[in-house]
Amino acid sequence: MLNEKRCVITGLGLVCAIGDNVDECFDAALNGKSGIADAKSFDTTECYSHKGAEVRLSDEELAGGKYDRTTALGIKAAGEAIKDAGIDMDSEVASEIGVLLGSCIAGAACVEKYYKQKAKGEKGDISNLKAMPASVIAGNVADYYNAGGITANIVNACAAGTLSLSLAIDLIRGGKGEIFLAGGCDSFSSLAYSGFHALRALAPSDCSPFNHSDGITLGEGAGVLVVESYEHAVKRGARIYCDVLGSGVSSDAYHITAPRPDGEGQMNVITRAVKNSGLKFSDIDYVNAHGTGTAKNDESEFLSLKTLFEGSKDLYVSSTKSMTGHCLGAAGAIEAVFTVKALVEGKLPPTTGYSEEDLKVLEEKSGSINFIANKPVTKDVNYVMSNSFAFGGNNASIVFAKDPNVLNLTCPKQSLYVTGIGMVNGEYNEEKGDYIANLDTDLFKAYGVKSAFLRKLDRLSQLQLLSGIRALEDAGITVNEENEGVIGICIGTNDGPMTEIANFQKGIIRDGIEKGSAFAFPNTVYNAAGGYLSIATGIKGYNVTIANGFQSGIQSVCAAAGAIMFGYESIMLASGTDECTDIDDEIFSDLGFTGEGKMTLGEGSVTCVIEKDSSAAERGAKRYAKIAGFSSTRDTSGDRSDNSRMSEKALIRALENVLEEGGMKASDVKCIYGFGNGIESIDKFEMDVYKKFFGDDIEVKLIKKEYGEARAASSSLQFAMLAKDIHEGRLETGIAVSYGTSALYTAVLLTRA
Amino acid sequence: MNNEIAEQIKGMLVERLRIPADELEYDSELFGEDIGLDSIDSIEIIVGIENLFGVDLSGSGATREDFRSIETLTAFVEAHKEG
Repeated sequence: MLNEKRCVITGLGLVCAIGDNVDECFDAALNGKSGIADAKSFDTTECYSHKGAEVRLSDEELAGGKYDRTTALGIKAAGEAIKDAGIDMDSEVASEIGVLLGSCIAGAACVEKYYKQKAKGEKGDISNLKAMPASVIAGNVADYYNAGGITANIVNACAAGTLSLSLAIDLIRGGKGEIFLAGGCDSFSSLAYSGFHALRALAPSDCSPFNHSDGITLGEGAGVLVVESYEHAVKRGARIYCDVLGSGVSSDAYHITAPRPDGEGQMNVITRAVKNSGLKFSDIDYVNAHGTGTAKNDESEFLSLKTLFEGSKDLYVSSTKSMTGHCLGAAGAIEAVFTVKALVEGKLPPTTGYSEEDLKVLEEKSGSINFIANKPVTKDVNYVMSNSFAFGGNNASIVFAKDPNVLNLTCPKQSLYVTGIGMVNGEYNEEKGDYIANLDTDLFKAYGVKSAFLRKLDRLSQLQLLSGIRALEDAGITVNEENEGVIGICIGTNDGPMTEIANFQKGIIRDGIEKGSAFAFPNTVYNAAGGYLSIATGIKGYNVTIANGFQSGIQSVCAAAGAIMFGYESIMLASGTDECTDIDDEIFSDLGFTGEGKMTLGEGSVTCVIEKDSSAAERGAKRYAKIAGFSSTRDTSGDRSDNSRMSEKALIRALENVLEEGGMKASDVKCIYGFGNGIESIDKFEMDVYKKFFGDDIEVKLIKKEYGEARAASSSLQFAMLAKDIHEGRLETGIAVSYGTSALYTAVLLTRA
Repeated sequence: MNNEIAEQIKGMLVERLRIPADELEYDSELFGEDIGLDSIDSIEIIVGIENLFGVDLSGSGATREDFRSIETLTAFVEAHKEG
């Protein structure tokens, strides 16, 4: 059984508008000290709102100004968490530490700097360009501290911080790691400010969650928690704050920005977290609510909490966003730190900003829930929960506890199979010099996708939708009320919606922050593609998007496998998706990656249906191949200030790991679907490692020669092509391998079904 | 109906909301079955109309009915446009 492993919190780090460290922030929160003031990062004169909750530290005071502000905030909180956990980063332990960080807007500050330079006709600064995508954040934080474990950037908008914690406990319980720095970080940005302003979602004055509910106030910050297996913590003599019990992740399948008014998705995720934790609703003592302050969020969340916790006599609830602002991808992590502190110290922070009149209204509407307003509550609590709900209809919930309890994750290890494949690949386009996919409207209409829906989707989301519905069709799956809750989605991407992000940013540089497009903004979040896929198909289960370099498509298979192993879902769609637009052409050309003798860009989306044995058997599903082993590895050997470095040691370890898991030897493998993309140094490195490990006879198939470097879509395609080769009898077994920045590698071993 | 204004509004809807031009008639129900716009789209229409004609739909008391089609939007703009 997989659920034996206790997960504990052994370190905390926090920076946000109300303090530069955990103690400052928690003291301020208990004292109801708000960090909301007039925004200083940029000029808001023409906007109807001028408020923000900005961190006091300047760029220079955060990692010496050498990183994008989002990453720098992550570095700040991670540093405190490492110190708090008593870890010596020059010791052996450091090499095991993985870094999982959530972010919504990623390198938006650098996007702004880069396109401001370009708007002036200057050459954009390459360091800003490199810091733009979410893909580099966790790797850069890991490299900064010499943490040698695996990395992932979880980019599910405002649920990202909670989701990264959820992934950490899953990886530990699945035997894929012992210790992680998990959390989230996001900087204040003109992008998000303009976007929420366009949606009329900013509060005119300080936000007032569950009170006036007239909008959010944006904030910035980072929260990082050291999540560790109990055995590992005890072995190194660590101080233990608390246990992490179960988590829940779900999708609304409703709307790209608004939550379901009936709270169904929120109630599903809270129910999942409580159930996975082996608890009853009445066991939960405190909930740190999502509580953004928008009318839509607050109404549905209040309804969800009142419905589920109807029988609770002693439940306390608050939203700390009235003080920290909404820190987007960092929010869940910041609130997790507050939730852990509340548990450990027995002091529950309030929601601030209630007048005497407001308090009367609150008392009437909160019913049996003890809503903590203005003043903290001192109370001994045992089980506490933190909830996050995001754009794209993504919900996440996690439970912390004073005792390990007996969890309810009783999923016996089952074999996993590839039971469906949906592809959208590019064809060479002479004019553009790239491999471009066909996205004719008729292709979507054939599946009943209405043009009223399709017009909302950016190119990335269209690619993703088409491969997703093709995969479901190939697997013979019709989503219905019976199975909608046991199917999930995991998407990998290198660049995400960078075209939408860049165009939105260019628009506000040209027209002003107050002129952002309400229509375009929702598509600037990395998980929009996953949100649309869930809305179009009705899938309501697990939903995560990982932005982590070219290997993201294969890493999505690993995360999908994890979601099934814990019994969260029976079926997962695992995708890799990246687009190729004029913006991508410009970025990769400016980076010096494309051109004569280098790589040729491509685009596409490949979705594979990953399914557990019992579910495939019940459906009589076609089985392409069996997943015999999967592994991600990383290390910090070599020059870790260079995040484009390669590591032979890490790549070989990934290969060794999958063979060991599959009970096979190197000589059993005759074919590798590799990642070579025409960049000589990368191609040579890869071939040298395989020849050394497998011998000179190893066949290496390089699909990027035919489809271009479609990044995450390419790594998914490698995996899918291997599965097809095995299904059609061309191969007995094989490994698909790809890489990400900061020397990260992921390999999956497939064998006959 | 002022065709010039209607054509400008149509162009704005096609550009800002990616509505296929061949599916958009002057009398198409924008928020109904025909085109299927939603609340985010309505915000975009407000900004688009203000940029084009300087008419503030939300400030000049436009109702749900005024947002019904290109025809009704055109009539509202005609009635509230200065000069």
